[in-house]
Amino acid sequence: MSATGATASPPPQLPDDVYRRMTLVLRVGLVGSLGILAVGLAVYLAVHTSATSGSALASNPILQYLNVAGLAHGLATGSIEAYLTLGLLALVATPIVRVISGFYYFQRGGERAMGAITLTVLVLLLVGLLLIGPLLR
Amino acid sequence: MDLGLFVLLLALVAVVAGLVGSLTGLGGAVVVIPVLVILFGVPFPIAVGTGLMTILATSSTTGAAYLRDRLTDIRIGMFLEIATVPGALIGATATVFLAHANLDDALLIALGIVLLAIIPGSLAHRDEELPPAVVPDRRSVALGLSGEYHDRSLGRDVSYQAADTDPALGVMFGAGVVSGMFGIGGGVFKVLALERFLRLPMKIATATSNFMIGVTAAAGAGILLAAGYVNPLVAAPVAIGTAVGAYAGSRVLPGLRNRTVRLLFLPVVAVLAIELILRGVGLP
Repeated sequence: MSATGATASPPPQLPDDVYRRMTLVLRVGLVGSLGILAVGLAVYLAVHTSATSGSALASNPILQYLNVAGLAHGLATGSIEAYLTLGLLALVATPIVRVISGFYYFQRGGERAMGAITLTVLVLLLVGLLLIGPLLR
Repeated sequence: MDLGLFVLLLALVAVVAGLVGSLTGLGGAVVVIPVLVILFGVPFPIAVGTGLMTILATSSTTGAAYLRDRLTDIRIGMFLEIATVPGALIGATATVFLAHANLDDALLIALGIVLLAIIPGSLAHRDEELPPAVVPDRRSVALGLSGEYHDRSLGRDVSYQAADTDPALGVMFGAGVVSGMFGIGGGVFKVLALERFLRLPMKIATATSNFMIGVTAAAGAGILLAAGYVNPLVAAPVAIGTAVGAYAGSRVLPGLRNRTVRLLFLPVVAVLAIELILRGVGLP
């Protein structure tokens, strides 16, 4: 589409509460995920006092928790690695929740085109996390 | 090295990376990834996975601050994510395959050359505080890709309207591929597309780039995390340190004039490009 000028009337600007709530989503997600990671990392270091960088890099300690059943069992039994996995998942999920909130606002405002665009982005994100990634493991 | 010391050093490097990434819109990964590989001996795919987690922390930190200051254009960011996310999925998938094939050197060199090619064009517009009036395309008008913000350094409200969306979408797809494949934010390309094709003011371009980088990184990070290429003993200290640095950077940006941000932006691009080329030809 070339720069040939406008024929449609533009949609209204997003209201202030969209900015406020999206800011809240990012802050809660960031603080929550990094909080879990910080506590989990501190506990891990306290428990594994003789660990070295070499041993840490030799194997990924969260591999067994990268599925729903493994993660749920690990969280229930208080596994540090499971909580570290939860923190990483929360960090990845934060922008995904932001996309969900964007979809909600566009739908609420009757902006079908932007709603469809946002929904497509959401589906693609979930396909990568839930389908492509596990297939590549 | 003792794991505690290793974690502490990673966190300190990440604070610096987060600060630079926030000020330039590049994301902290441009500093983190070379340092992880060269100084800490982290395998490349793990470094990429960590880089993407770094971007997530940076983008969420600065994204929140820019949203609060109304510097982020949510509508434009979400519109362009339709191109960056598929690119990131493809890039991250390619990285997993290349991890076992040693075929990434040529790609590193190519990316370095592309980044260096961006610099002359950026220098040519260094004195342009705000873009001139533009003629928007129909998609830009139909989707309401326009806005207004208060520029504290200029002391007045500034209105803008996105221009050519087609080339911007193409560049954004490429930015997504780069992000997913190399673990960097692709902010170089995002800011380029937002400024050059959409003709957005520099501050809006930088803030919206940060906003978009998070979703782009989530696409790549989701794949690498699920595939087992994100190690929390590396990613956690880096993500935490980056968030601290990014927050500090986001407190500085709204008070800076656009040319100041640009002068910070260009040397980082040059360093990144040279680093990539040196790594590609096998030199430290």
